[in-house]
Amino acid sequence: MATRIKRRELFSSFAGIGASPAGAQVCTGADLIPNVPLRTHDGAAVRFYDDLVKGRQVIINMMYAHCEAFCPAITSRLVEIHQALAPRMGRDLFMYSITLKPEQDDPAALEAFAKMHGALLPGWTFLTGAAYDIDTLRFALFRHDHIKFDLDPDSHTGKLRIINDAINRWTHVAPLASKMTVLQHISWADPPKSFEQRVEENRRLQLAIDKEHELYGYRKIV
Amino acid sequence: MRRCNVLVLLLANAPTLLFAANVCEQEAQSTGSTTQQYYMILAGQTDVFYDRSGPTFVMLQRTAADETDVGAFGIYAGARRQPVFGPVPASVYEQFASEPRKPSDVVLRLAISKPQYERTLQVLQTWERRVREKALLYPEIAMDNILLVKQATEELNRCSTTLVPYELDWGLEDGISEHNVASRIPYEYFRELARLNAARHVPDTQ
Repeated sequence: MATRIKRRELFSSFAGIGASPAGAQVCTGADLIPNVPLRTHDGAAVRFYDDLVKGRQVIINMMYAHCEAFCPAITSRLVEIHQALAPRMGRDLFMYSITLKPEQDDPAALEAFAKMHGALLPGWTFLTGAAYDIDTLRFALFRHDHIKFDLDPDSHTGKLRIINDAINRWTHVAPLASKMTVLQHISWADPPKSFEQRVEENRRLQLAIDKEHELYGYRKIV
Repeated sequence: MRRCNVLVLLLANAPTLLFAANVCEQEAQSTGSTTQQYYMILAGQTDVFYDRSGPTFVMLQRTAADETDVGAFGIYAGARRQPVFGPVPASVYEQFASEPRKPSDVVLRLAISKPQYERTLQVLQTWERRVREKALLYPEIAMDNILLVKQATEELNRCSTTLVPYELDWGLEDGISEHNVASRIPYEYFRELARLNAARHVPDTQ
């Protein structure tokens, strides 16, 4: 005789899980990104959100021209990233380097820094502005939520903020991580891909993994 | 005596920007005025809000023969007893200063110089602008208030030691940030400054 098994649900209400609280709204770029006035390295006056971020995928970092610690290394890494993504730069992907020391870095100083590092490239803009506005931007994009670190502007050079405003996707990565890691993080904010594109990308990735196993006996790079 | 709200008054008068290079020169050259006195008052209460924190604000005062400029900025209790960060209404700071104080209340009143007054006022005005433009630096006002009180008090000692300092730096020696939630840090900080600077406190009667 068949035993009838009594089944009980472990979770009683699936409907409520993952739902936003009633009335909650999703914050978008316009709510989160200060629309502060800035100047570009070529002297143009811009509004940060309206003119540079709205509807775009952007990579943002903070630096200053006389930084002798991490900034030159980070800028070199960003040049490599720019080269890897060159076909997209200035079209659907943009890079912004914002000075942490606006009192020292006027547009001319930023242009000289960019030139020295080979960073005067399409789609890459260096930015300065009033200290008040730079602080507003710095805390909005790079805040650690720890006053000790937030009061040390240098602690904000070690992060790349990646935003795709069109799909409201934010992420970040340490710029001195491997080039592949940085590129991977940037890709996480890429515009959504079609099913066919994802299948093709996965096929190529599997081929690369298989090749590494063949060569090294383990997955080395990809 | 005529009383003006110092935050509003000096915003309207567009105060001179003080640049770092000549700030200390100005302070060194300034001589004590016989007609005007400048004060910074650090005021804090506890056990007012739900998390046992309370109003904590920085007050600036300039007194002359027949007028006083006064303004305060920080966290105070709003109409529903909720913490509010911004320019403190006169009714609130006057009440705080005049009513009999609880033993736990902290008030440290320091005589300061004109350059110190102007620099600290600039700190307060920057925060006033941040409130007005909805450009606060943290999503939590308790964190903004910590930054405010730290900047205002550290501004006093930029050129010379006026205040026996407490290093609110989240370092190994900083017990206040180690043992308190953010909303209580300004109160504990003021209490420690009041203890360290008891000899410099100027009582209300003066």
